[in-house]
Amino acid sequence: MLEREDELVTRVAAELKRPVHLDSALDARVMAEVRSQARRPRVWWLRPRTFSLTPLGMLARAAVLAAIVFGATLAGSRFRPAPDAAVAVAQPGVSFVLYAPGAHSVALVGDFNGWDIAATPLQATGSSGAWVVSVPLPPGRYRYAFLIDGARWLADPGAPRAPDDDFGTPNSVLTVGT
Amino acid sequence: MKTIAQSAGLVLALAAVLPRPGVAQDPRLDRLTADARTLVAPIIDSAGAAGLPAEPLVNRALEGASKGAPAPLIATAVRRLAADLGRSRDVLGPAAGAAELAAAADALRAGASPEVLRRLRDALGSRRLAVPLGVTADLTSRGVPADTAATLVITLARSVEDAQLLALQREVERDIALGAPPLAAAAGRLGAEALAASADVVNTAGPGTPTTRAPRKP
Repeated sequence: MLEREDELVTRVAAELKRPVHLDSALDARVMAEVRSQARRPRVWWLRPRTFSLTPLGMLARAAVLAAIVFGATLAGSRFRPAPDAAVAVAQPGVSFVLYAPGAHSVALVGDFNGWDIAATPLQATGSSGAWVVSVPLPPGRYRYAFLIDGARWLADPGAPRAPDDDFGTPNSVLTVGT
Repeated sequence: MKTIAQSAGLVLALAAVLPRPGVAQDPRLDRLTADARTLVAPIIDSAGAAGLPAEPLVNRALEGASKGAPAPLIATAVRRLAADLGRSRDVLGPAAGAAELAAAADALRAGASPEVLRRLRDALGSRRLAVPLGVTADLTSRGVPADTAATLVITLARSVEDAQLLALQREVERDIALGAPPLAAAAGRLGAEALAASADVVNTAGPGTPTTRAPRKP
């Protein structure tokens, strides 16, 4: 058993000791590649450089990197819409109707248009005194009110009243289900 | 030394241009007066840092701006809403979404106790709570006692969809508008729905079948 193992070791050692003959053109091919790399024009930002850093300098650079990462994370997370907040998907319109005879203008103002008094004007339907507008709204809960003639705030008489009245004028609440 | 000076300069320059944690970034707040913005931005920022949604707070500030409210009043309203959202989140848990928190804040403001919200949360399990909470808030603000509103919503929300829950809310509101006392209107609907539910169970459940009620379609 031992003799067979010795013989195997001897054969392996002999194989490893055999000189390796390389292709005679190898040297030429390697040198040609090296020369071509040396001739290739290199832009300044690809040239290798050596920097020396003091510990304080390293700390300062680390602080800069941390500030960049923190800033990017903060900017990405802030004011991100919540999972069930308004999603910009077209929904069937919700009709808002107000009977306001004698009004010159009526606007719908609320959470869905950033409380912009110019964003959603209602249209008068002939001389009936009814004003209407249809707004596509995704599922959610919205506070809103009507603004008559740019001066008088009015809650929707046909909708639940918002429980709070922080600014002295009542609002209505609309819940759009899924 | 030169390296240190350069690094310090770089840090200062970046600090000037990077967003700072203490300043709310929403460009819509530019519609507020400078005074209002100065008061409101830190409140929104603190709420955001506490994990509360910014959108309802921004909307409340914009509402104040559109209504020409003075800066301190806008700040008070935003601060109060942030506190309500925080209380709602304490009850509903950190996974609650913005719409759920806003509806729960309305329910609290209408007079529902945190215990009522907790009952809803526990009873409805994994269902999205925005509409059930909103219906509870709206019925409560119409004068229905919060406990009764919650019981009505819990009874129905287990078996019906959001649209039917909203339809029931409209029916109760119509009854109130027609002169029914709020409690009677809600109790009447609750009784009607309970009767309908038991009728459904009697009609559909044979021997050995589970006594659950299939959702009704509008």
